[in-house]
Amino acid sequence: MSLGVKNVEIEPAVRDLRNRTLARLPGDVSRLVYLASSRDLNTGRYSHDGIAFHFSENVASKAMAACHAEIFDRLVYCSLEELIEELQSYISSTAERPGDVLQSWKRLGSYRVTIPSECDEMAAEIFLSNVKIALAILQARQESAFQDGQFA
Amino acid sequence: MSQLLPYLGVASLLLVVSALWARQLFLTRKSRIELIVSQKREPTSGSSASHRDHGERIFDLGDWDFVSRNAPSEIQEMFLRERAILAISWLRRTRARISLVMRAHVAAVGQIADLHLVTELKLALNYLVVLTLCDLLIAWIWLRGPVRTRKMVGQTLRTMSWLRGAFEQLMARVSAEI
Repeated sequence: MSLGVKNVEIEPAVRDLRNRTLARLPGDVSRLVYLASSRDLNTGRYSHDGIAFHFSENVASKAMAACHAEIFDRLVYCSLEELIEELQSYISSTAERPGDVLQSWKRLGSYRVTIPSECDEMAAEIFLSNVKIALAILQARQESAFQDGQFA
Repeated sequence: MSQLLPYLGVASLLLVVSALWARQLFLTRKSRIELIVSQKREPTSGSSASHRDHGERIFDLGDWDFVSRNAPSEIQEMFLRERAILAISWLRRTRARISLVMRAHVAAVGQIADLHLVTELKLALNYLVVLTLCDLLIAWIWLRGPVRTRKMVGQTLRTMSWLRGAFEQLMARVSAEI
């Protein structure tokens, strides 16, 4: 995994974050949701007690921002097919019913808050558009599976 | 009245010189501001994406192949509509970016003594071609509505490839001049 982090100061924190926290999560969408939910929406700063304890709050926040940007870039440039698999993997990892998660994501547009603050507008537009299509495909698949189950 | 004529002449001359000097100052300042603004807009961490990459992503045929094989017709239409919106947005941004670079170049050229007229003419022509292409492509996508066929996507891709080449040439020339 190459992050392209130029700041030497945060590299150990980034490694730590990848190996101890992000590697345990199932897929990039899960990682994206985790990182976005660790961000304070008022200040834009990320918090991670473990990393902050070993390094500093500032380094932890920067490391998380760098990982967030990297994962977001991967999801913007992955194919629609891969994005659907990633979303499916994330939905399966939650304790909720897949139909409810899909409905909530579509209705509330929850995925909008997963965009990193330092990304350009075009990348954000591509991501939002692709997630919208991916959710529609997943919902169509689910409805089709439900109908098949009813008529079987 | 005739005694006033020399004074009026000198005053007019001074006015013209002042206007030219003010214009030069304005253009220089504007180009500096624009360059600073464009630098600030670049992503600062993690993101390695460029505008060219965005174009490739938007016009990627792989996604259309997947959607056309695996999704019902209403989702196929949704996909084509979404991609048309993204394509127009990207073209508008590309156009604005090229215009910004060109304006900065024009401002910088005003301070160069030994101007290469042929290079400047080629650059201006290239600039006009790229802008026209962007406008034509935007109009084309607007008029045709959502992209419906693989052929149309293919045509768009070829046009975008041409546009990208022209844009790269323009950028190389501008940076060489500045």
